[in-house]
Amino acid sequence: MLFRYLFLLLVILPIKAFALIEVDITRGNLNPLPVAVSPLAIDKNSKDNFKKILKKENLGSEIAKIVENNLKQSGLFNPLNKDAFLQEPDIANLKPRFEDWNLIKAQALVTGKVTFVDEKLRVEFRLWDVLAGKEMMALAFTTVPSNWRRVGHIITDKVYERLTGEKGYFDTRIIYISEEGPKTNRIKKLAIMDQDGFNNKFLTLGNELVLTPRFSPTNQMVTYLSYFRNLPRVYLLDIETGMQEVVGDFPGMTFAPRFSPDGKKIIMSFAKDGNSDIYTMDLENRIVERISNHPSIDTSPSYSPDGKYITFNSDRSGYQQIYVMNSNGKNVKRISFGNGLYGTPVWSPRGDLIAFTKLHKGKFYIGVMRTDGTGERLLTENFYQEAPSWSPNGRVLIFYRETKTNSKGEGFSAKLWSIDLTGYNEKMVETETDASDPSWSSLLSN
Amino acid sequence: MNLSKTLKNGFLVLVASLVLTACATQKKESIGQMQGDVYTGTDSVEYLASGVPDRVFFATNETVLTTASRETLRKQATWLRKNSDINIVLEGHADERGTREYNLALGERRANSAKDYLMTYGISSDRISVLSYGKEKPVDSGSNPLAWSKNRRSVSVKAN
Amino acid sequence: MNRSVIISFGLHTFFVIITAMSLPFLAKKPIDLPPIISVELIQITDKTNIPFAPKARKIIEKVKEKEKKLVSEQAPPKKIKKQKPDAVPLPDEKIEKIKKIKDKKQNPEKIETEIKQISEFEKKELFDSNNIAALIDKSKVESAETNKKLDKVTQDQDKEMDFIGLTLGEEDALKAQIFGCWSIPLGLPFNENLLVRIKLQLKPDGSIIRSEILDHARMNRPGQGFYKVLAESALRAIKLCQPLRVPSTGYERWKDMQLNFDAREMLEG
Repeated sequence: MLFRYLFLLLVILPIKAFALIEVDITRGNLNPLPVAVSPLAIDKNSKDNFKKILKKENLGSEIAKIVENNLKQSGLFNPLNKDAFLQEPDIANLKPRFEDWNLIKAQALVTGKVTFVDEKLRVEFRLWDVLAGKEMMALAFTTVPSNWRRVGHIITDKVYERLTGEKGYFDTRIIYISEEGPKTNRIKKLAIMDQDGFNNKFLTLGNELVLTPRFSPTNQMVTYLSYFRNLPRVYLLDIETGMQEVVGDFPGMTFAPRFSPDGKKIIMSFAKDGNSDIYTMDLENRIVERISNHPSIDTSPSYSPDGKYITFNSDRSGYQQIYVMNSNGKNVKRISFGNGLYGTPVWSPRGDLIAFTKLHKGKFYIGVMRTDGTGERLLTENFYQEAPSWSPNGRVLIFYRETKTNSKGEGFSAKLWSIDLTGYNEKMVETETDASDPSWSSLLSN
Repeated sequence: MNLSKTLKNGFLVLVASLVLTACATQKKESIGQMQGDVYTGTDSVEYLASGVPDRVFFATNETVLTTASRETLRKQATWLRKNSDINIVLEGHADERGTREYNLALGERRANSAKDYLMTYGISSDRISVLSYGKEKPVDSGSNPLAWSKNRRSVSVKAN
Repeated sequence: MNRSVIISFGLHTFFVIITAMSLPFLAKKPIDLPPIISVELIQITDKTNIPFAPKARKIIEKVKEKEKKLVSEQAPPKKIKKQKPDAVPLPDEKIEKIKKIKDKKQNPEKIETEIKQISEFEKKELFDSNNIAALIDKSKVESAETNKKLDKVTQDQDKEMDFIGLTLGEEDALKAQIFGCWSIPLGLPFNENLLVRIKLQLKPDGSIIRSEILDHARMNRPGQGFYKVLAESALRAIKLCQPLRVPSTGYERWKDMQLNFDAREMLEG
């Protein structure tokens, strides 16, 4: 009897139910993900053809370089040094030897192939999970050879999205104002470039003052302020045809223009008799609608991505602050309450945040807040900076900075800068000339 | 004993008082003056005619006319009445310490303040048009309060 | 100006004299201070990461030396016989395949090199964390460093205790290791459920027999695309960290383990 009980005890004790241990992992690192971008494989025939057409030695390497540069600039990836790569591009594209890539600590690998087919450029690429040893993604594109840079950007967008869960922002363009000359006599031109600084083009000659250009969501049109014939008015410019036209027939200065999310309307300020109010004009039927009606200055309007709300800048409280109202102008609510002046509100394409410029105690800040005004976060501080514009995935802000002049009034410069929403990866965006008033397009490949 | 102690204390008192002593410094600079925040100098001022300054100045973020501004505008009004065939454009400006679009609106409001005042002296609005350059055309490229005060202005320019 | 200086001086003298004369009256009473009690806030990690005695330090140093030697004696990476992976192998299938490969090999030394190689990486991860101190919380770095010292010592301490589950020390060690391996994708939405639960079956040396994502179905649900990215990052972390830092005893109690990866804290900032 006793033995039986003892036996039971012995059996039960070990089976004391070692409950499943749970360990909570609530932290990790924010290190850029190490990724290897192998030069894209290219056969001799294709290589020679592309060299002839595009004047590029090795198109496979060039496209890979674009991907590598984009990933590095995003701050989220760490592209590894090509000199350490052990596998040749063509073999790697067929079947990577994961141990080799693991050896150099890559966690992801991009391989691909470039071919010249029917006078066209065909690119295929694969994304591999090196640690799991499997393929994550494989895609191919065919396009005209002159679009080769865009292929690099599109590949980056796909890779970025697969690894971060966010849509990319690399196949985009930035429109801005190119500036030159002394501060008292600046020559300003409308300019456009790829998001990585290449393919820069000037759209106006610099004969009249131009300011604050903004992209249409459909990307063929741009709206901006021009002092053509000394009359400051909002204009529309078709990038592809070069055609310009004035927006509406206002008897006074119109400025601060933006497009509605559906691209069908222009929203802007109209100044008359010392008062600036917000108006819209429908581009199709040309109907003008007055949105705000207040003796204060109302300007810098920006639509929410669903078109239901408008955020704008007003000094109706006595100082520049940020407000939100319905798109019909009703239900105006102030949302900025911190110390200082607030301006240039711009709604994120994700709809969750509003970016702004803040001036407090002589310093300028770029910041974001939730659309109800809570959660104000200042991302960067400077002697002078303003006018943030969102990347199409609502992750990165581009803005511009000016430097202080010395006692002789020299040393003035204006440059574009960008910063990640987390406050990291603050860096200058290279432009040929000085630059200001940047605006980011949506993804070109839609 | 007592005497030295008293002397010592007395000495300390004197030193403490000297340290605390202060007097107001002169605010006014000799050239390029500012009153409060408003430029009162004549460096950047041009003239529509002898004795008629072409511009008025404003305080930071302000669009109200100072006494000096009103005096200048009165002179302009007189001159405009005498030269009834001349039209003018009022160009409003702001300094660089503000956001670009708001400054455009601010410049317009400043120019308009000047226009309203001229109209009270009988100048017809047909003869006055208003234009704002925001912070785009500073007169002084410096990054200091004096330079900024020179840039916050409304300038009357002959249109014909 | 001189006049104002003299007036200022006179007034100040007056006030200083008044103050000086009244001060003695204030200074008379002695102040009664309560005795100072010192309160030290000890984090649980500090308690379990008890610094060791000089003798123990020597032992650890010796062990480190031994480990270093093994690592440097490695030959360059040996080519392991390749297996053709299926089109889209699930993580657990892959691990079973690796297990099969391991079984096939007759040469035990090869396995050793592989493991040592991985642990060389893992060590590097922890060292790397020092370089990117700007991005990582200081406290994370500290716990990683103190845990390095822990290696052999705490496990001895635990022999007497009979817990179900890991001790705080063991848990800290494992957490710190995985913190270093988990690269959190920054693109995840701040306000969603960012919890990935992965069930593991472990070998005594900490390598993984089998892993299973508990909310597997969520990976392919529409609108939850980010979950797949999150889950993949967790799997990468586990792979990178193999062999896991498990206690050297009590295999039965931790051979089945569940890791709950929650990115919320890091992303909400």
